[in-house]
Amino acid sequence: MSGHDSKYFSTTKKGEIPELKEELNSQYKDKKKDAVKKVIAAMTVGKDVSSLFADVVNCMQTENLELKKLVYLYLINYAKSQPDLAILAVNTFVKDSQDPNPLIRALAVRTMGCIRVDKITEYLCDPLQRCLKDDDPYVRKTAAICVAKLYDINAELVEDRGFLETLRDLISDNNPMVVANAVAALAEIQENNTGPVFEITSHTLSKLLTALNECTEWGQVFILDALSRYKAADAREAENIVERVTPRLQHANCAVVLSAVKMILLQMELITSPDVVRNLCKKMAPPLVTLLSAEPEIQYVALRNINLIVQKRPTILAHEIKVFFCKYNDPIYVKMEKLEIMIKLASDRNIDQVLLEFKEYATEVDVDFVRKAVRAIGRCAIKLERAAERCISVLLELIKIKVNYVVQEAIIVIKDIFRRYPNTYESIIATLCESLDTLDEPEAKASMIWIIGEYAERIDNADELLESFLESFPEEPALVQLQLLTATVKLFLKKPTEGPQQMIQVVLNNATVETDNPDLRDRAYIYWRLLSTDPEAAKDVVLAEKPVISDDSNQLDPSLLDELLANIATLSSVYHKPPEAFVSRAKLATPKPDDDEEPDAAEAGYSESSPSRVVNGAPAPSGSSPVSHTSTSQAAPVPPTATPATAAPVPDLLGDLIGLDNAIVPADTAPTTAPSLPPLPVLLPKATGQGLQISGQLLQRDGQIFYALLFENNSQTVLDGFMIQFNKNTFGLAAAGALQVPQLAPGASCSTLLPMVLFQNLSPGPPSSLLQVAVKNNQQPVWYFNDKILLQVLFTEDGGLDRPEFLEAWKTLPDANEISKDLQNSVIHNVDATTKHLLAHNIFTVAKRNNANKDIIYLSAKLPRGITFLVELTSVIGVPGVKCAVKTSNPEMASLFFETMESLLK
Amino acid sequence: MISQLFVLSQRGDNIVFRDYRGEVPKGSAEIFFRKVKFWKGDEPEEAPPVFNVDGVNYIHVKVAGLLFVATTRVNVSPSLVIELLQRIARVIKDYLGVLNEDSLRKNFVLVYELLDEAIDFGYPQTTSTEVLKSYVFNEPIVIDAARLPPLGPAAMFMQGSKRMPGTAVTKSVVANEPGGRKREEIFVDIIEKISVTFSSSGYILTSEIDGTIQMKSYLTGNPEIRLALNEDLSIGRSGGGSVYDYSSSAGGGIVVLDDCNFHESVHLDSFDSDRTLTLVPPDGEFSVMNYRMTQEFKPPFRINALVEEAGSSKAEVILKIRADFPSSATANTISVQMPLPTYTTRVSFELEAGAVGQTTDFKEGSRKFEWCLKKIVGGSDHTLRAKLTFSQESHGNITREAGPVSMNFTIPMYNASRLQVRYLQIAKKSKTYNPYRWVRYVTQANSYVARL
Repeated sequence: MSGHDSKYFSTTKKGEIPELKEELNSQYKDKKKDAVKKVIAAMTVGKDVSSLFADVVNCMQTENLELKKLVYLYLINYAKSQPDLAILAVNTFVKDSQDPNPLIRALAVRTMGCIRVDKITEYLCDPLQRCLKDDDPYVRKTAAICVAKLYDINAELVEDRGFLETLRDLISDNNPMVVANAVAALAEIQENNTGPVFEITSHTLSKLLTALNECTEWGQVFILDALSRYKAADAREAENIVERVTPRLQHANCAVVLSAVKMILLQMELITSPDVVRNLCKKMAPPLVTLLSAEPEIQYVALRNINLIVQKRPTILAHEIKVFFCKYNDPIYVKMEKLEIMIKLASDRNIDQVLLEFKEYATEVDVDFVRKAVRAIGRCAIKLERAAERCISVLLELIKIKVNYVVQEAIIVIKDIFRRYPNTYESIIATLCESLDTLDEPEAKASMIWIIGEYAERIDNADELLESFLESFPEEPALVQLQLLTATVKLFLKKPTEGPQQMIQVVLNNATVETDNPDLRDRAYIYWRLLSTDPEAAKDVVLAEKPVISDDSNQLDPSLLDELLANIATLSSVYHKPPEAFVSRAKLATPKPDDDEEPDAAEAGYSESSPSRVVNGAPAPSGSSPVSHTSTSQAAPVPPTATPATAAPVPDLLGDLIGLDNAIVPADTAPTTAPSLPPLPVLLPKATGQGLQISGQLLQRDGQIFYALLFENNSQTVLDGFMIQFNKNTFGLAAAGALQVPQLAPGASCSTLLPMVLFQNLSPGPPSSLLQVAVKNNQQPVWYFNDKILLQVLFTEDGGLDRPEFLEAWKTLPDANEISKDLQNSVIHNVDATTKHLLAHNIFTVAKRNNANKDIIYLSAKLPRGITFLVELTSVIGVPGVKCAVKTSNPEMASLFFETMESLLK
Repeated sequence: MISQLFVLSQRGDNIVFRDYRGEVPKGSAEIFFRKVKFWKGDEPEEAPPVFNVDGVNYIHVKVAGLLFVATTRVNVSPSLVIELLQRIARVIKDYLGVLNEDSLRKNFVLVYELLDEAIDFGYPQTTSTEVLKSYVFNEPIVIDAARLPPLGPAAMFMQGSKRMPGTAVTKSVVANEPGGRKREEIFVDIIEKISVTFSSSGYILTSEIDGTIQMKSYLTGNPEIRLALNEDLSIGRSGGGSVYDYSSSAGGGIVVLDDCNFHESVHLDSFDSDRTLTLVPPDGEFSVMNYRMTQEFKPPFRINALVEEAGSSKAEVILKIRADFPSSATANTISVQMPLPTYTTRVSFELEAGAVGQTTDFKEGSRKFEWCLKKIVGGSDHTLRAKLTFSQESHGNITREAGPVSMNFTIPMYNASRLQVRYLQIAKKSKTYNPYRWVRYVTQANSYVARL
């Protein structure tokens, strides 16, 4: 008691804390409980009551569940800041985990799992082991989740103590709640683990499908989402699965419905019978439509998903376009999504109805919505040739209302319509010209100027119209300046009279001398040279027939679409981005303990290969990469008069010019020209890189190894002076040249192929696939990130062996050099396809044979410096699990080889 | 799975905050609120319910003016999270009787206990009030608003948010009545939200009914209940074709639902044969059945809007609404809104002779006028004349710059779909057991619009 008193005196006045302390130590239960409640209240409003830790823990030993829960709540909150005191609670926890009351047992194990203090986790294992086998399902289901908690704190402990096996056993539990939680826990552990933790065999499949019928709605979602990873063996199995899942479409919980839809869509890929597919489409339509009767938040998620589904299977909702008509009280985010889907479902059959709707929306109050509606009309015109005329007449009607932003939006889409249907609707140009003076938005202005330039010969006063814009040339935004430049050149080429000649002089002068914008200046120089060297060539280039554009309707790239469809009912399908683009677990982002050493190693790396150091502000690479601002100062001294002398040969210019012209004129159609390569994996997320995001992947092209890199500057500052360096690694991979990344303005990005060489800075020690990379620039700290070296980028093209060579080599190597591993996640669906796929990565097939329903493939591959791998793959077609035996002179490399095969045989 | 769950007031105050996984930084609530508040800079635009800021995904719903938010770092099912947030809100309402800032603050210990049982490590465990009762020990502190008479007048239908009308009852499922004994009663509400779009010439362009049968049971011992619907109810629209074929809908005719779904407690064994649902209702409020209907139905209101130009900078609007439902029903809290051209400077109104309980208002800020009527008896007509003055000459296209006319209303004891509860049977425990049974209908406007 004296201790208590001394603490009492240590505060200058009797405040809240000492008062609470006194009450916590009261002999009366009610007073105690009230005091704990007061403590929790203080805690939730952010007051620091951690000094009461010992006193609160003293209240823990009670039979009163209400009080116990309150104490636990407090413990979870403060254990981290008071780890030593938290140990005091361990005894009670362990005791509680053996309490006769199942609620107390479960509560103890649930709470212990939430206290992320290392010292406590050690004591957690035994109670957890017991609780996983408890008689009471409430305790078991709580323990199942607790395994996932423990894995999050200490993965090794979970594996060592065999909790994963116990968890797998719980999949067969007779209580569906326990099954659901075991599935959820295993799925989460699998996500953070490269090894096979949770494999779904046909056996688990049937067990889980049975549990599905008895689970709570949440459990159903866990199970459906886990099962969506299962690949059915054939169409028949797929049909069976679908049949078991279809009743879920009738569930009142939208999450269950969407997860069921995902499962059915995935299995449909395997189903060959058109009747079955048609029938399934018919069954999915009503539940999907019903999602739109739910709360707007659900509607939004549903619409984003439906957007993907109709791109893949337009028939499902082809007759339901009416349900996507906007209601006046829909939130704006719902309206915008509905518009997108209406465009996708618009057809010759329903276009009249759809246009009536769009026209109505175009007179609503919300400006963004109105703009989108106007744009939608244009997109329908481009998409549906037979309806184009009707669409245009609606646009003209809207222009006549003279609402400024409607007119501007209409002009932007009409420019695209001209490009889609050349020489068809030019009669409306006169109407467009009437609204010329109301244009004040860059995109609309640029579009109008493009139209004037393109049709200069049909517009009597084209020169006057353009001239009116020229007065404000220096003040216009870059987009408009570029179009003015090109349009004036077009006008001059079409009407080479005095007026236009004067105009072109003014424009070229403005665009070369008076500007700081390298894009504009370079283009102006090219025109200038072109006009002064060969006006006829200039005509061929500038007035060349444009390729007809097609409607993209915001279509996604097919491979991305497939990936997103596999992720239906997840955030990925709402953002329309693959999961790796936005998922960054906090764990991965936190610095690792060995980070302190890394800078030294990397610094050493820098000095080692100093010859490749990049000079700051080096000229941007030639070619089509974005022109950097750093080149401004270098190019500026070249006087315009010197142009003819330094003029490069015309053909080269043409190449560039066409590229530029096409890239800039159809401002709306950029997505179609986007590269179709799969996105590179993100190595440095922007959240970590202070806005700089780096993605990259090693690849081999024509025998040369490259590092494909993408730099995206999402920060608010201009970044320049990029350099890259690689730490010592097993293969001595290093940069063969300087990193060619220009200055990156905010929002800009740059992709580059960095040539790589081998055996430059070899690291001693056991082989590892780890590649540590350091990137620096002038504005930010040095960024370090890890990548993986997969052998497939290193295998050489001369790795093929014929049968006798293979046998000979196999025999000469000692048996101890043979290592084999079961690649449990790998599967071979088709031997020929697989060998072809492997050949693409320089893994050569020597022989194939089939033995008692097993297919055996013999392969060979070679790393530089003559490290040969002799391989034997054994598998049953279509069944997960491939046995890979490898014999090599460097057996320590075998693990790397397995890693590679696993990634190739996914 | 979800990392944190928090409830914010409209002003952004943190009312409840529970971190399940400790992987999202503490300031997430402020980051979220700032993002939602300034989604599009200064323009008031609603943020979508799902977005990502710096690697953290924020998912939120609005319930009764409160923001229920979850954060996560992984690729979760957003519909699961949204459903979960809504269900959490409902469970809390079941426990507290009313859901508002005050009741949450007074009961925060109970709310935390509920959150701990409903969600573990971010994974939803159970959101059934019934199941939770055996694990939750705190007693709710019922706030005054919860002591409203359980069956007030039509105002009861005004509870909850605008979109999802909560049922009448603001009584905690778990708390005992002041008198000690609980009253044995059960509420079944058939709530229909109707959407109709009339073309400028008065034709129906689209029409739809979103219905739900909501139940809230205060019966002890959870007896089995049989709920019988129209015998001629049919489900699944037979193909496209003449959806708006009015000739067939004049008389009774059968009720055709496009699609429906049921609560998991519902047994459908005899649904196919005699359209009865059997269930043991769990405690708390829940939807027995949701349904959707696009079959033609008689819209409860006809809207007639006439715009006449009177000179170069003046126009007159004549709005006429006719109540097309039986005189036994009365609509209440009706409001009719019409956006006007931006250059409208003044509006003078002229109500019909002897008008009672009607108000008019020209909202200059949002350029629209509003006409409110306290009630409209079935079968009656009401007219409003509004004279508009413009600051500039109209271009002869007023109709394109004004409208559409939209309408809000509630009609108790009326439903447009003709879906009926034929009877509600409660398994009897004893002869004297005769609990109160309340079956109520209500129709509300969802998007009720007439174009000009």
